[in-house]
Amino acid sequence: MTAGSSPAAAPAPAAPAPAADVRRAGRWLFRAGVVFLCAWVLVPIYLLMVNALSAPADVTGFPKRLVPGFDPGSLAFFLRFQGVAEALWNSVQVAAVTMVLSIGIGAPAGYALSRFDFPGKGMFRLLVIMTRAFPLPLLALPLAVLFIRTGLDDSIVGLALVHTTLALPFAVLITFSLFSGIPVELEEAAWTLGCTRLQAVLRVVMPLALPGIAASAVFAFVISWNEVFAAAVLTIQNRTLTAFLLQSLDVSPLPLKFAGGAALVIPALVFIFAVRRYLFAMWGIANR
Amino acid sequence: MKPRHLLATALAGLLAAAPPALGQALFWSTQAQPIEETQAMREMVLKGFAGGVDYQAADGGPWLTRLQAEVAAGRGTIAVLGGLHGDFASVADALADLSDVDVAGVNANMVALGRLGGAGQKYIPWMQATYLMAASREALAYLPEGADLEALSYDQLIAWARAMAEATGGPKFGLPAGPRGLKHRFFQGFLLPSYTGSMVTAFRSEEAEAAWEAMKELWRWTNPASTNYGFMQEQLLTGEVWLAFDHTARLADAFNQRPDDFVAFPAPAGPKGRAYMPVIAGVAMPVTAPDPAQSRALIAYMLAPETQIATLRATNFYPVVEVGLPADMPASVRASGPAIAAMTTAPDALPALLPMGLGALGGQFNQVYVDTFERIVLGGQPVRAVLDSQAEELRRILAEAGAPCWAPDAPSEGPCPVD
Repeated sequence: MTAGSSPAAAPAPAAPAPAADVRRAGRWLFRAGVVFLCAWVLVPIYLLMVNALSAPADVTGFPKRLVPGFDPGSLAFFLRFQGVAEALWNSVQVAAVTMVLSIGIGAPAGYALSRFDFPGKGMFRLLVIMTRAFPLPLLALPLAVLFIRTGLDDSIVGLALVHTTLALPFAVLITFSLFSGIPVELEEAAWTLGCTRLQAVLRVVMPLALPGIAASAVFAFVISWNEVFAAAVLTIQNRTLTAFLLQSLDVSPLPLKFAGGAALVIPALVFIFAVRRYLFAMWGIANR
Repeated sequence: MKPRHLLATALAGLLAAAPPALGQALFWSTQAQPIEETQAMREMVLKGFAGGVDYQAADGGPWLTRLQAEVAAGRGTIAVLGGLHGDFASVADALADLSDVDVAGVNANMVALGRLGGAGQKYIPWMQATYLMAASREALAYLPEGADLEALSYDQLIAWARAMAEATGGPKFGLPAGPRGLKHRFFQGFLLPSYTGSMVTAFRSEEAEAAWEAMKELWRWTNPASTNYGFMQEQLLTGEVWLAFDHTARLADAFNQRPDDFVAFPAPAGPKGRAYMPVIAGVAMPVTAPDPAQSRALIAYMLAPETQIATLRATNFYPVVEVGLPADMPASVRASGPAIAAMTTAPDALPALLPMGLGALGGQFNQVYVDTFERIVLGGQPVRAVLDSQAEELRRILAEAGAPCWAPDAPSEGPCPVD
């Protein structure tokens, strides 16, 4: 390359002009992608918040103001609505029990799948997913009959059992890939140093898997939090927030839809924000 | 430490779960679902009932599944059911006989609907409503010359919709033709009977052909986003449409929010008259009600005049018994009341009743009208061919149900014929 052949190449003689262009375009594309993805997530949440905090007349008006009018009318109506607080508390309880149960059952299953070979392993993996193959409205009737007969009806535990069934496939498969990513040699080393099988799992594998397990617990929490149909059929007095609100919101005036949407989204957002460290940690493991 | 802490919290939560409240009567209803209405039902309507009522509004699916589960299990918590005529039609066997409830003040036709084609009284009429037209003030400027708002015809409606579309550059008429919209009632109870004087018998007549041709013409000037609309009050309030047809309860919010901006008026008339369809909601008692005496008391309470007026305020559904309305009713009631009166007492009024005796086939019956609309108007298929093939389906449903004709069709021996 001769000096002065191209003014653009002059400052960086090591890189020819086309390569610099490509790199610049790539950077630009990367930034645009980041902005696009952020907007993808943030714009709906922003609109939800603006409308939830606006006076009813502003909600139907257009164009929107950038900053909401901070009229708490719709949200206040919501919080006064009889039973919202209890329903919120019920939702938290059901989701917490679902989380504990699905990890308690799912993590050992995922460990067994990743470490042992046993007959029917492939079939087992398929069957686990099969629990998601039947639509809940189909299962709800026999379930409700059974629950009424056994006394599980209208209880936190009963609903949590159903939600656990829904969350279990994800818990099993996520923990399966998690344990598969932890080298078995680490465990073997622990055995040679005198650990029993259980001790090796608890002291060596668990600390490594914990962030990922926490992430799959978050997933179970969100599945339970969002489930409507079973909750609407199986609980009457102890309704969860989604069962309590979602059906009514669908047919409510626009301002209340936004207020209710905000009330449903905020707790889940706060929860995910609180455990975000674990989520990122899981991605770290997956990338290794 | 952390997982154990989490577990402890969850267990504490389990132990703290309150036992279900006892004594309150569970009112399991498909009505008054919007949360403002649910709130009003609890605070204004049911507060006066001794012993307390737990009013729970549910979607059709969970409502039905829960009821079926309780009946199948032979043990229930639901004391009283609330629903539309169509909700009850498919669950007649699950409902206790209420023949001994005093219904002296209620219109005899409605009471007859409550027998669901059998001998016993399966539900007691609770409240009623109908459908109306609503227009914003802007729309009135384009009302065709010589047209009277109180006595509009379908041709004038089409001309009006066209005038607005041409003047503003976009269609300003809207129909609730979305998945949650009540479009089938528009075809069954308004458009077709107005042109044919019939809902079923003249389904594939030449008059019906003319009705669907008019519908196609109207659709040209209808906002195409109508296939997403469910509650026309929303589009009226946003100004997306200026002129709309819908259930009174689904227009109410527009009148209540901006009473001076909207007017209500009767549905249009066709060659055979001004057809309209009443909507009837009822209360019933499942056979598994935990305390039948309490359920009966609650049903009687729902029929008391004060409760009926409170219900009107809460839900925009009108009383089924004779009551004098106080002057301080909400704007929606003040707007729709006179329009309903004008529609039902018009010289050419033609009441088209809800389908009777179809039982569980009610949904399929509605689907015939929806399919006909989608094939002719949205799909652009030839009217004659579509009517012929849909008439077959209609015949099959009526024969299977063995349902005789209901108004406006002339009474029939055996299943209602489709000519």
